[in-house]
Amino acid sequence: MDFQEFTSYFHPNLFITELKAETKDEALEEIVGVLSEHKGLKDKWLILEMLKRRENLGSTGIGHGIAIPHGRSLSIKEMFVAFARSVDGIPYDSIDDEPVHLIFMIVAPPHEHNQNYLPFLGKLVEILKEEGNREQLAKCENFDQLIDILAGGF
Amino acid sequence: MDEKQLRCLVALQDIDIMIQETEGEQKLGFKTEGINKLKATREELTEKIEKPLFRRYELLRQHYKRAVVPVQDNTCLGCFVKLPTSLTTRGKENIEVYTCENCGRILYWLD
Repeated sequence: MDFQEFTSYFHPNLFITELKAETKDEALEEIVGVLSEHKGLKDKWLILEMLKRRENLGSTGIGHGIAIPHGRSLSIKEMFVAFARSVDGIPYDSIDDEPVHLIFMIVAPPHEHNQNYLPFLGKLVEILKEEGNREQLAKCENFDQLIDILAGGF
Repeated sequence: MDEKQLRCLVALQDIDIMIQETEGEQKLGFKTEGINKLKATREELTEKIEKPLFRRYELLRQHYKRAVVPVQDNTCLGCFVKLPTSLTTRGKENIEVYTCENCGRILYWLD
């Protein structure tokens, strides 16, 4: 997957500078709410249920203050990625028990013509493993900066 | 048959996909220790679905991999056959469970 394709899943309207949520469930609800508002989801509760069930399978908090809630649902037309920050941090049952400050939410339909969901997830994990990228993302204030930082991973 | 039946079927399929992709998730380093809990949730959900409908779901799943498919632009995205306008008018609300006359898959309207 090239940089152009990778960043095509991000959108300025799905860049949330400061989450109001204080818990994991609230964070998922708030981000899905933004997704629903901008992408016109037919049934946002199906997406939310799916994401909460995915968290029951195992927390998507990958450590270092980052979480990647993700999953597939029939109730979405195309793959989207939302980025959200929480300055105070959210208890997330992460791998290192640290609160989460950065959330990348990925939702995709069961079928995508280019099957990019898992490769996208893999590339994002790879980018987030780099300490330098995480540090820059923590300071990221707008959508353009986010894209610039992600560019460093290619 | 009510709206909840179709929602349950969509949620059930979402869970089945999640279970299928567990291995890929593990390779990426994600935790999946709650697999048995997820399977238990699946069982609870199946109890909410009328038995003939659940049997149909399972049969379709064996045959096609995905039993419930989206409808976009009046087309079944399982077999890509155009659906009758009358069916689309009734189906759009996603209240009742309808199946594709061509492939038999259960339909979920996205538009």
